Parts: sequence; C-alpha cells; structure tokens
Amino acid sequence: MRSINQKSLLSVFLLLASPFLRAQEIKLPPDVEKLSSTAKETVEVKMDGPMLRWASKFLSAEDPDEQKAAKLVQSLKSIYVRNFEFDKEGAYSSAEVQTLRSQFSPPEWSRVVGVRSERDGENVDVYFRLENEKMAGIVIISAEPKELTFVNIVGPIEVDQLADLGGEFGIPRLKTKPSSNRVAKVEKGDHK
Amino acid sequence: MRSLRVLIIVLCSSAMAFAGEPEFHGLVRSIETTYGVHHMRIPLLGVALFFARPAGAHGLRLAVFEGFKTPMDSDEVRHVIESSLGTGWYPFVRVHSKGQADGETTLIYASPDGQNMRMMIVNLEPSEAQIIEVNLRDRDIKKWLKEPGEEAQGSSGHRREMD
Repeated sequence: MRSINQKSLLSVFLLLASPFLRAQEIKLPPDVEKLSSTAKETVEVKMDGPMLRWASKFLSAEDPDEQKAAKLVQSLKSIYVRNFEFDKEGAYSSAEVQTLRSQFSPPEWSRVVGVRSERDGENVDVYFRLENEKMAGIVIISAEPKELTFVNIVGPIEVDQLADLGGEFGIPRLKTKPSSNRVAKVEKGDHK
Repeated sequence: MRSLRVLIIVLCSSAMAFAGEPEFHGLVRSIETTYGVHHMRIPLLGVALFFARPAGAHGLRLAVFEGFKTPMDSDEVRHVIESSLGTGWYPFVRVHSKGQADGETTLIYASPDGQNMRMMIVNLEPSEAQIIEVNLRDRDIKKWLKEPGEEAQGSSGHRREMD
C-alpha cells in the first residue's frame, strides 16, 4: 500500500513537473518552421541531459579546450541546433528572422551581443536567460545570406564559455569579435 | 539499386557492429504493420557484410522497404519510431533535404552505452525507406558528436547526392 502511494505521489509529481520541463523547450515560430519546405537542407540536432553527460566522456582529457567543454557540458540540460541551408540568397526574409528574435525579449531574455556584418551579410545575435539571478540558458541566432542557424543551450553557461562549445555537437564556432577585414558592427545589447 | 547504394554508403562510412538487438526487429515490425509494407530480403547480405566490413567493425543491420509511401507529416513516422524504440533511445539528428519529388528525411536515434553508441538511422525517401542499426566505437562516436549534422548527411547520402 505504501509503495503504491509512493508511486502515485511520484506520478503526480511528474505530471505536475512536466509543464515546467516542457517550458524550457523553445518552439520555432511557424513562419520560421515553414522554412524547412523551402530550404535545400534542414538539420536538427538534439541532445538532452543524459546524452550530454555521456557525450562529455568522449571529449579528450588531454586537449585543454575539450577538457573545458567536457566540464561545461556535464552541467547542461540540453543542446538544440536547427540549421536551414538555402540554394540562393534572399530565400528568407528579415521579417522571419525578426519573428524569431522577438521571442527572446526582456525581461526573461537579454541580448548580450549582436554582430552585423555588412560585408558578409552575416548577423549574429546572442541572448541569455537568468533564473534566480543565475545563468539558465543561451540562444544564438545566426543569419547568413544562404543559411539560418538557431542554437538553444539550456543550463548554466556563461556567454564567454560559448567559445568552448563552438565546433562541438553541431554548435557553430562563434566569432563575437569582428575580424579586421570585415566591416562589422558589434552591438552590446541589454546586458545588465 | 537504391538498396545497393545505401549498403555501399553504410559500409564505407565508419566502423560498425554486428549485434542482434531486439529494438531493430521491433522497429522493422512496427513499420511493416503501421504502413502495410514488408522489408526486402537481400540475398547474401550477411556474407557480404562479414567480408566487406571495415577493421574493428562488429555490427550492422539493414532493412529496406521498397514501395514505402512516406507520409506528408514526418512527425507521424517519428511517433511510430519513438513508440517502438522506447526508453534508452534519444532523438539525436534529423535531416531533411529538398529533392526532386518530396525530398528525403533521415531520422537518427542514439542509445549510449558505456564506450559504445548504438544508432538507429531511418531514411525516408518518396518511395522507399531504410532502417540501419549501427554500433559505433570511440573514434566514430567522437566524429558524430563533433559534427552530428555533417555525419548524418554523409551516412544517409543527402550530401553525396546534392554535390
């Protein structure tokens, strides 16, 4: 009887907790989602907590960069990457990207950095979310003329740790500092 | 012909294993019963895989469904796959490429287990589907974790066909 009650309590807890667990998932707006039908290729990569903890074992202990990434990944809850690749430029509109960006507005989200490259036509925005005054997640939106990438990292991660994860798990390497041969504008966003 | 192409791609892609796992058979049965198709018998497939397997390989399973009508909504197939695989399998990569007809979709699920990673790759084409189970080891796992999208494109043949 006692075990049944414990199981019932656990079930009730899981049912009650599930909306909060789901709340961390970010749905792409329908306007962005429909880009799958026009994109030459759409890639979606998803890694949840148990898989991330397991995956961290395969990052080399001898490579200092991978070691940093491994430590970081162990505490993350999930990594989600969605990439759209198009045949030609102008396949998606700036309004569609703006719809995506508008999901990450204050007070829940703050934009920490925005890179606008007039030469490459590459726009990168990085947003972060605080939960009880602790970093709880980062979103990257990278819009290039023929490519649109969305990355959602859930868990405790600082913006300057993003570089450690670049190139792992399908996360693009992020250049938050414009190189000298690019005409770029770096905007410091709403970082408090 | 397409089956042969898939087989060659799989053999050339990485080190794979030869383990008999119930999830593979369960998934094949689920696809057969849900969509009213039967997987093809490929003569001497086991022998071919035994002799052609790369060094260190110890497992690979393949089922090909010809005449498979891919549903418009790939979420429906995802539901069938996830219900069949059950716990311990995680959605890992999904690739969709625009093709001549309705394009091609590849759904990859992973089951990490110690130093191995089992993967179930379901490739959906307009009139054919393939299920491939592979067992990856250290070096190949690292490659998949580093660039999952690139590896998925390579193993399913998406990128090869487009280039």
